[in-house]
Amino acid sequence: MSDYDRLRQRMGRAVGQLFSQLPELARVWGQLFDAIEGAPVPLARLAKPLHQCRLAFITTGGVHLRSQPPFDMNDSRGDPSYRAIPANTPAEALTITHDYYDHSDAERDLNILFPLELGRELAARGAIGGLGTCYSFMGHIEPPHVTTLLQQTAPAVAVQLRQEQIDAVLLTPA
Amino acid sequence: MGLIARVIEAAGIPTVCVIGLREIAERVRPPRAVHLKWPFGHPLGEPGNRAQQLCVLYIALQALYTVQESGTILDPGWRWRREEYEEPDTWVMG
Repeated sequence: MSDYDRLRQRMGRAVGQLFSQLPELARVWGQLFDAIEGAPVPLARLAKPLHQCRLAFITTGGVHLRSQPPFDMNDSRGDPSYRAIPANTPAEALTITHDYYDHSDAERDLNILFPLELGRELAARGAIGGLGTCYSFMGHIEPPHVTTLLQQTAPAVAVQLRQEQIDAVLLTPA
Repeated sequence: MGLIARVIEAAGIPTVCVIGLREIAERVRPPRAVHLKWPFGHPLGEPGNRAQQLCVLYIALQALYTVQESGTILDPGWRWRREEYEEPDTWVMG
């Protein structure tokens, strides 16, 4: 990593920390979503008991396999792409590329952000029916990438979830 | 995150979001959300606090069955470290 990249990363983390301490700044984020205000919110019903449900987890915390390309931190409008992460992936095979929040705790214990290990445990003891392929995005997506997210990448994940017969999805933010 | 949840829910798969900023969720309106005003990067709690993490998983999964109205935001009011978390006894739901 070059000195410039290190500086960028440090600045990004500083902004993330500032963001987490100043909710007012974060509130401004909500204003980016005027376009969907008033649109109907869908509600699908979960018809099966939990022990029969295949779950998937999705995080917007920038998690990815070390072998996958990192999220693009050079575009200030965010990166609307996603990474598919097999349910059996060990935490050591994962890393986080996201400059806008402090993820040092999540790197110590990924369950606080993307609970693959807990999900596998719940599946092993029969509390849930199974854990399918999980997915990771990067948060902080701004126009025009919001359109890509809404029209391309999020629908692509929805198709894969259906193909894998996932019954319900838990989403966790950064 | 709420936008992704809406797309998946519209495809017929129930979703539940853990959120830290109620103000954003009120604008984006994910189908179901559990609000925990905890530090960024810690939606399920502290590293190593298994009971806390499982409590969040439990209440989020429970919301998949209990929420009857889209856009509902549940607020358990858990105060980060100032709370006694106990691992759920049973995961029987639905």
